[in-house]
Amino acid sequence: MRLHVLPTRRFKTFSLSLFIGIPLSESRVSAVALTPFVLRRGTSSYPETISFRERLDDLYGAGFGFDLYKRGDYQIVQLRLDMINDRFVSSELSLLQEAVRFLGEVLTSPALENGTFRGKYVEAEKRTVLKRIEAIVNDKIRYAGERCVAEMCKDEPYRLLALGRKDELAGIDAGTLYTEYRNWLSEAAIDLYVSGDTSLEEVERLAGESFRLPEGTPADYAAPEFRAPRAEPQTIVERLDVAQGKLNMGLRTDIGYAAAEYPALLVYNGILGAFPHSKLFINVREKASLAYYASSRLDGHKGLLTIQSGIEIGNYEQAVRIIVEQLAAMKEGRFDSEELERTKAMLSNQLRELQDSAFERIAFDFNNVLSGSDRTGENMLADVAGVVPEQVTAAAQRVGLDTIYFLRDRKEAEVGA
Amino acid sequence: MPKEHYAQLQETLLHEKLDNGLDVFILPKPGFTKAYATFATHYGSVDNRFKREGHEEVKVPDGIAHFLEHKMFEEPEGDIFATFSSQGASANAFTSFDRTVYLFSATESIERNVETLLDFVQNPYFTDANVEKEKGIIVQEINMYRDNADWRVYFGLIEALYVNHPVHIDIAGTPDSVRSITKEMLYECYRTFYHPSNMTLFLVGGVDPEAMMEIIKANQARKKFEPGGRIERYFDEEPETVRTPLLTTNLPVSLPKCMFGYKETPGPQRGEEAIRRELATKLMLESLLGASSPLYQELYDDNLISDGFGHEYNTGPGYAFSVIGGETRDPDELIARVTGALNEAAKSGIDEAVFERTRRKRIGSYLRMLNSPEAIASEFTRYRSRGGDLFELIGLYESLTLEELNARLREHVHPSRMSASIVRGE
Repeated sequence: MRLHVLPTRRFKTFSLSLFIGIPLSESRVSAVALTPFVLRRGTSSYPETISFRERLDDLYGAGFGFDLYKRGDYQIVQLRLDMINDRFVSSELSLLQEAVRFLGEVLTSPALENGTFRGKYVEAEKRTVLKRIEAIVNDKIRYAGERCVAEMCKDEPYRLLALGRKDELAGIDAGTLYTEYRNWLSEAAIDLYVSGDTSLEEVERLAGESFRLPEGTPADYAAPEFRAPRAEPQTIVERLDVAQGKLNMGLRTDIGYAAAEYPALLVYNGILGAFPHSKLFINVREKASLAYYASSRLDGHKGLLTIQSGIEIGNYEQAVRIIVEQLAAMKEGRFDSEELERTKAMLSNQLRELQDSAFERIAFDFNNVLSGSDRTGENMLADVAGVVPEQVTAAAQRVGLDTIYFLRDRKEAEVGA
Repeated sequence: MPKEHYAQLQETLLHEKLDNGLDVFILPKPGFTKAYATFATHYGSVDNRFKREGHEEVKVPDGIAHFLEHKMFEEPEGDIFATFSSQGASANAFTSFDRTVYLFSATESIERNVETLLDFVQNPYFTDANVEKEKGIIVQEINMYRDNADWRVYFGLIEALYVNHPVHIDIAGTPDSVRSITKEMLYECYRTFYHPSNMTLFLVGGVDPEAMMEIIKANQARKKFEPGGRIERYFDEEPETVRTPLLTTNLPVSLPKCMFGYKETPGPQRGEEAIRRELATKLMLESLLGASSPLYQELYDDNLISDGFGHEYNTGPGYAFSVIGGETRDPDELIARVTGALNEAAKSGIDEAVFERTRRKRIGSYLRMLNSPEAIASEFTRYRSRGGDLFELIGLYESLTLEELNARLREHVHPSRMSASIVRGE
């Protein structure tokens, strides 16, 4: 396990994040997804879920949670713990020590019966994961986003949901899951971050006492595969009972987070659609009144850029035309110095702002671990400030439209797709 | 300059009420890079019938406070978002039942951004054309929420609970009500509610508080305001009973969504008593329904709830209600089990150890919240508008008693004041 400590006295809390990543794969994605759900049910010291949660309450309502997501070609489990610094309460315990101990137990010393996970927990959490997967469709914005990426990456593991595969869950039981869990622990890249009023020495000591990990050096993250966009973009139309159409687009780039050109790509995405002064917001919303939201988002770990908007169903063609025009404008370098300067100012603000949030600082640093780079807030700021228009236009040549996805109503009207 | 120091929390707050009536609060956060500011008017979706001193009483279309919020961002020289972007600030706004809040966060040019915030909100610019153009955007915002099952089930509950009180009217209005809005109506609402004496500026983050206060005072001193007249707000009387015990909505969802809650006759509206009541109610609900409660675990084990199961207590001018629920395979059984347990607890009382643990947990989450400038600004102004002080909540939490919680519980769970809202597929 690699340790990363961000000592600071700025916050009233200690914030801990544990990242556990393995390559995203068809055969393991569901077991890995299920694992943190089972781990949060109980540990060897607090085997009952109620006692586990009461323990967190006793630690002054420590905030414990986990996330599952894809970064690059990896499936990552993140465990988080956020708890107040002892100096604000009258506590006899060292809360940091208790926090590290607790997190160590959650990951490496779960509640067991007969040498495997508790069957009751595994069955209940299988239902929970299944419900989560099925619930994605309830949120049409998220559903359309997931579907667009899945269609775009249908020949790659990246098409999989971080939550795993519905059809595979039923076949998992406590025994198979426990075996998968042990393998996962021994093969994964594991990184522990601690932010707060502490030091690397203190965290090293506490982590050494608290994590019972298999021997060996932790794995590293390998660079992802950047694929070229389809020669001809594909169009996918899907029908559900919706009042509003969701228009999503998926684009690909071969510029990754570690690349020298990445700051220029950030600026590209900013001028195109990341902000309320960006081309998408101005042209789709403010000028054409077609949408309430219209934006773009960049995933530098997989080389994906996605566009999302909610529109009147009958306005599909007009919205596609306007968005494609903005992409063309970017390729031809049609943006002015105001758009460039505003975007740089906003990106700089984001980079500085994240210093004020422990978890955002952790996430920023973890980008380096993922991509094998060593960007700091300062040098990223300088890199963004130094981007010239030609570099943005050059980055634009390396972004290509791959997929247009439209979620529309069930009414049998013609759609010009 | 008046300063309030909160020793236990290590926070110092600067406050002044300016000559024009504007309340200004500045909370320096040494070491923080960013600053976050909110400029809020005590005006939200519930204020749909009112009278400005010396003027006629008016009734305005649903969704107008929210419409006004959208339109404030347009200035004669263009969209104010562009100005904020040039100054490296991320700006936004939102409208709730009783407040409209304009905000930005920035790490540089804080002075200029504060002035931009004050200037654009204090300079309305509505034309027939720009009002017309906004309607398409807002109708799309309404449609987005129509497809959102969580929003529909939540709002469905308020609709089921309330007969007359405008809290049951959708904050964004309907496509028809939005289309009926004119620039004259927007100006009327603006003149009534955007007077400095009805507004609060809150600034938090890495700033020099005294210098910032001078800049704000100078900015306000440069502008002329007519004296702010008294505002009368009218609400039709709300019966004690609910509009309907059950409201069902059809929408494609993977599992039914079910929320239910109790409407209360709103108690004291302001001051310590009002805040105590709010904290006690929240603590009571958390003790009985929180993720570490036995009931929660039983319901989870029986596959009746998911992780999203939760509760809240919402109170404002003339309304107070609880919201309990989430997604469930069986709404009827969930409602029966939870109301059964609440009624049982009303008889037997809440367990002392549970009460203490829950109190400790609430104090912990309160302290964690103080890391977030956004949360501080929002919560501070909310408590302030109710005559309370966010930074004195620990003392209040510590002084709450189990008897108070039990009394709240008995008062709250009243069968004739309960409604449920269910969203399910057809």
